[in-house]
Amino acid sequence: MNALLEVSGLRKSYAGVHALDGVSFAVAAGSITGLIGPNGSGKSTAIDCISGFQKLDAGKVALAGHDITGRPAHHIARAGLMRTFQTVRVYERLSLRDNLAIANQQFDAATWVDEFFRTRRYRAAVETSEGRARELVELIGLQRYWEAETGILSYGQKKLVALAAALMPSPKIVVLDEPVAGVNPSRIREIETALCELNRAGETFLIVEHNVEFITNLCHQVIVLDQGRKLAEGTSAEIHTDPRVLEAYLGMTPEMAEAEMRGAA
Amino acid sequence: MKLVAAPLASIIAALLLAALPLLTTSNYIIGIGISALIFTVAAAALNLIYGFTGLLSFAQLGFWGIGGYTTALTVVTFGGNFWWGLVWAALINAAIALVVGYPTLRTNRHAFVIVTLTFALLATLIARDWVELTRGPLGIPNLPPPQAFGHRFATTGQFYWIAWAFSVAMLGLLYALCSSRIGRTLIAIKQNEPLVRAQGIAPMPYKLAAFAISAAITGAAGGVYCFHLGIIDPLFLDFYYMQTFLIIVIIGGAGSFWGVIVSGIALSALPEVLRFSADLRMIIYGLILVVAMFVMPSGVAGWLREKKLAEMRDQLRGALR
Repeated sequence: MNALLEVSGLRKSYAGVHALDGVSFAVAAGSITGLIGPNGSGKSTAIDCISGFQKLDAGKVALAGHDITGRPAHHIARAGLMRTFQTVRVYERLSLRDNLAIANQQFDAATWVDEFFRTRRYRAAVETSEGRARELVELIGLQRYWEAETGILSYGQKKLVALAAALMPSPKIVVLDEPVAGVNPSRIREIETALCELNRAGETFLIVEHNVEFITNLCHQVIVLDQGRKLAEGTSAEIHTDPRVLEAYLGMTPEMAEAEMRGAA
Repeated sequence: MKLVAAPLASIIAALLLAALPLLTTSNYIIGIGISALIFTVAAAALNLIYGFTGLLSFAQLGFWGIGGYTTALTVVTFGGNFWWGLVWAALINAAIALVVGYPTLRTNRHAFVIVTLTFALLATLIARDWVELTRGPLGIPNLPPPQAFGHRFATTGQFYWIAWAFSVAMLGLLYALCSSRIGRTLIAIKQNEPLVRAQGIAPMPYKLAAFAISAAITGAAGGVYCFHLGIIDPLFLDFYYMQTFLIIVIIGGAGSFWGVIVSGIALSALPEVLRFSADLRMIIYGLILVVAMFVMPSGVAGWLREKKLAEMRDQLRGALR
């Protein structure tokens, strides 16, 4: 396996509570990896530590072979890891178009000098960025809102904007924190399809999500956390039949799970 | 349409304002014009750090005073001229802003407010108590009129041109900044700093630059204004000035470049327009401010924006049907 993101021995405690107690896992390049677990199992803390929003107590994070442990969040983003947030974050008072333009501006070659003189490099950068933004807006189905301030969008629509913003610079890996929580069910299907397509085009994803069906349909590999430790790891099918996972997370017996799987099929 | 109209309207407005000394010989009215121009520049500089970046800085009062004293002392004590005085005022204030801002901007927004307030008070103390440098409470009277190319800007009408050219240059600079990617990034930092960081942008250099530029412009504005008054003393650091800048920004709409410009001109003229009733003047002024805040809590620009948003919502709803 060619690991793009390697996490080893993550430890983090808040006031004596071990939010992460030695978590290690790897995300293969070109994969969609799911990170699941009950509330308080350490998923969000893990993401925050990986993306530089929380300081680690111990452990190591490597992106494409480079150590990014403890680097500031903006360095990690520039290194190619883009993330979204569980509580949706968009620039509410800027248009959808500006939201996506800002998401990309650190990643093009144009400087403020280029902008001041409207150099060819600046115009090319803006054109490329706009083209990419339009593609992504079509993907999330929000073309009508191109010039609208994102504050007027619904919660689910904002989630989609955050997803598009994370995809803007075509990062090495996209880390999504609950991408479809609060999103219209009919839209979830489309996002699944879209993520699959992007993945086929080479994009790597690490997804934290409570929607088990979404994770099952999408992920090649699933990691289960419980109480700050890794409980299990495997394909969706393996996870679904692992008694420890069923007990800790889904709260059911293997027989019940099997019945449900058959029902879904 | 808006893209063409705004620069055109602003050029016409700037030229009309330039013509003020030709339309009246009243030093009183021209004096109000000078105040309006300079206060608008200082308010626009406050808007950069407060309206755009979201950092409420009371240090503007300190920068204003330090800028005034720097320009005056350059001319009176150090034998330089007015123009170099303005350059020094801008440079020294930018340097102070970097030194004060670097540690303070690492803390949170509330701490920033407290530190900048303390800084302003400290500047007032220095103006009053460092008698060897500032000449203390007596101040420095009889500031000589500026000269350029052998011409003395001695009358109020002549000085008006300096204030006008200075304002046009500074507002042009601020407009270029605010309408660029840098301005957009400042707005983004104000709205959602974690998201900015997650997108690979380090907020610190942006905040520091906004603070330093705002300080430099405010300092130079103070330098121009004290030569209009012809005297500088510790009253130049009176809280009245800070209050004026802040009212202009809040009424105009924090974060709106044009809103603050319009409100700067309007609010500088308003107390004078109300002079028909000398007794009730300040009471009426206060009432107007209170009513404005009730009707438009996010300023004139905020109010217009809300209307536009409501329209857009209606349109989108219509499209759904």
